Amino acid sequence: MKRRTFLLKSALASGSLYAPAFLKSFKTKLESSRSGKNLIVIQLSGGNDGLNTIIPFRDDLYYKMRPFIGLKKDKLIDLNGNLGFNKGLQAIKEIYDQGEMAIINNVGYPNPDRSHFRSMDIWQTGSASNEYLSTGWIGRYLDNDCHGCESNTHALEIDNNLSLAMKGIEESGFAVSNPTQLKKNTNNEFLKAVAKMDHDHEHENVAYLYKTLIDTQESADYLHRKVKNHKSSSSFPNTKFGKKLKTVSELMTSDTDTKIYYVSLSGFDTHAFQMGKQERLLQQYAEAVKALVSDLKKNNLFDDTLIMTFSEFGRRVKQNASKGTDHGTANVLFLMGGGLKKKGILNKGPNLSKLVDGDLQYTVDFRSIYATILDKWLGTNHSQILGHKFQGLDFV
Amino acid sequence: MKELQQLKHLYWRAGFGFSIKEFKALQKFNIYETVDLLINNAKQYQVLESETTISNLSMAEIKAIKKDKSKLKELRKKSKRLVRKLNTDWVLRMANPNRSALLERMSLFWHNHFACESKTSHLALNQLNTIRQNCLGNFRSFVKAIARDPSMIRYLNNQQNVKGKPNENFARELMELFTIGRGFYTEQDVKEAARAFTGWSSTVKGTFIFRKNQHDFGTKTFMGKTGRFDGDDIIDIILNRKETATFISRKIYKYFVNEEVITSELNEMADILYAADYDLEKLMTHVFKSDWFYAKRNIGTKIKSPIEFMAGLIRSLEITFNNKMGILFMERALGQTLFHPPNVAGWPGGKAWIDNSTLMLRLNLVNLLYQNTVIKYELEDEAERQSFKGFKKFNGIVELSRIVDTYNDQNKQEITKGLMDFFLLTNTSNKEKPLESSVLTKDNQSIIKEMTFKILSLPEYQLC
Repeated sequence: MKRRTFLLKSALASGSLYAPAFLKSFKTKLESSRSGKNLIVIQLSGGNDGLNTIIPFRDDLYYKMRPFIGLKKDKLIDLNGNLGFNKGLQAIKEIYDQGEMAIINNVGYPNPDRSHFRSMDIWQTGSASNEYLSTGWIGRYLDNDCHGCESNTHALEIDNNLSLAMKGIEESGFAVSNPTQLKKNTNNEFLKAVAKMDHDHEHENVAYLYKTLIDTQESADYLHRKVKNHKSSSSFPNTKFGKKLKTVSELMTSDTDTKIYYVSLSGFDTHAFQMGKQERLLQQYAEAVKALVSDLKKNNLFDDTLIMTFSEFGRRVKQNASKGTDHGTANVLFLMGGGLKKKGILNKGPNLSKLVDGDLQYTVDFRSIYATILDKWLGTNHSQILGHKFQGLDFV
Repeated sequence: MKELQQLKHLYWRAGFGFSIKEFKALQKFNIYETVDLLINNAKQYQVLESETTISNLSMAEIKAIKKDKSKLKELRKKSKRLVRKLNTDWVLRMANPNRSALLERMSLFWHNHFACESKTSHLALNQLNTIRQNCLGNFRSFVKAIARDPSMIRYLNNQQNVKGKPNENFARELMELFTIGRGFYTEQDVKEAARAFTGWSSTVKGTFIFRKNQHDFGTKTFMGKTGRFDGDDIIDIILNRKETATFISRKIYKYFVNEEVITSELNEMADILYAADYDLEKLMTHVFKSDWFYAKRNIGTKIKSPIEFMAGLIRSLEITFNNKMGILFMERALGQTLFHPPNVAGWPGGKAWIDNSTLMLRLNLVNLLYQNTVIKYELEDEAERQSFKGFKKFNGIVELSRIVDTYNDQNKQEITKGLMDFFLLTNTSNKEKPLESSVLTKDNQSIIKEMTFKILSLPEYQLC
């Protein structure tokens, strides 16, 4: 048994698992190893249709299998004469043109699962399709590299709830949809006294509640202090997603100790009447991302920021009878940042003549992208976090 | 005294806790009789009636509305409002000591199991009635009714499942989430099952219709059997497998008993359910009458869902609302809006209910009730924000007089003990002293009020 595993297990056994962060005695390892890099993960929930996001408009098979929902050449934004953006992505075309975006086609994993929940779990935990993990890949990064950190806010999710991706065994990310609201909610003298009350020898759920209470009180003060003086100057679209990215921007530009942000946009499960729906969602995405990138640039943060956008699976190549698409497999993934070493379209587009059960075959395992980010961007060792060794890529 | 703790546990798991009046009456009950009484009351369900938008219109009237954009908009708005009313009415039934709590509790369980977003009032009402009718009935009939439920048909795209061009959405979730669970069927089974459900559709007015010309009458091979199967045959084949009884029992165990499953107890349940050909009343009676249901590991260890938390709070504090939209408002803020689950897998539950922001909202909610504080919460979109104008107050009136009367003649120590016994399920004796010393008021009425509010702010109140 590795020492690290042993420590984790004994922490579980002794119940010190839920000790509040400020009681943890050893000083953070993170301070010394911090790479100075930021990571923003954007999740498109519901299974975004990659084929209608980056369109292979030279491929006759594409129009053959999608006679109605196939996007015509004059209805999209040409990137390189073979592939084009969905019109909804107009707002980020400039980022692409300036060499600050990389597109990886056919990202997936062996034996793909077509269930939303299972495939999302696979992506969020970084597992194989026959492997069931209860911790997320970012959560395990926190366990590994941020164990005993003084900060509870090293990884933040802008949402009411925390995703599995952000949950580790000992460390987890922190969910907040609105720092000001959170601060207001923690301003309660009695609750501050409750946090100090004795609560030993009780069920783990009680311990979990107290730990959450204490961490929240500490972090709410901190985040509020940071964000109240930094209002973003860029104009973000007045959508839910736009507001989320605005919060990200305000926190990043106010020099918080958060390094990882997690944000989702949902609604991509387009089984019926997909065209307008998907375009509107992509537009919401692109306009908000554009505002975020412009804010980060103004504050000289974009070179140290990597934005990864993924979805749990792509969709079936053939359109269905309802002018939509069913659950599929391999998909396109976006990376953006000022520090990209490889730009533009990094690999061959989808091969529509070699389908398996009507679905695309993956050529890039998503875990090799995680591995690259963990090793080369966050400066850690991916095999400790993902449990296996993966061939890294060279986009950073 | 031990039996009282068991009854409190039963009332929280089979219902939504108790009012002070119920609490006092509990002390005279015995477990077996109480279980029978709860079950019998739940079976006296009434079909819910409510105003809906299009049920009473003729087809010609509906067609006319569909052509008129402003009328259509108005209709949709009204329908949304009526769904909100169905929602808050439901929470208030859960909180009402004069209604069957078990009926509402079972319905809530199945609403989470057959998770479905209902966008229009008549679809939501129909589905809720289907759930109420079947929640303690036969699971086989229940699944068949859900497969014919127009709201579910639309939610899982079975409207678009037609011969030659099957849409697999319903067929997949039927197996993955509703009946047998992953690992017991193949991708080919999903495809074949989808064919069997082709043509199971719904009319404009929201009633089930079997569209013959869209149905695939051909031969299907499903789970190793071959025949000209239709949807009912598929459901029967799935339910004839014992794995389905185990899957459903596990879900019930995790919800009503404990998230950590003890295999022998689960197997006992699956045997009963399977032998009784899916009679849910038999299964639930057995669970509530089992010794293991009352084991220490189960009592006060489950994190309340937002709905359980609110319904329990309203029941014990006898809260009345000037404006019921406050309930809906808290549902959204806490992450559980009825008729609006996050996806077809339902709400994840357990620790997932609690993160830093939802915990603070819960702990502060009582405070809000007391002070009538204005709270702001980010609402879904502009349209909804409009309809919430003026509803920003979580405007409830707490009726404490019965609680005050109950403890008024006692000393501070007894009041503390008594109120903790009423509100909490776990042994929290280490909190008595700090609570006592934190309350500085002198007269008993103020002590009771302040103590109530403080106990409800304890993290322990989040458990049942």
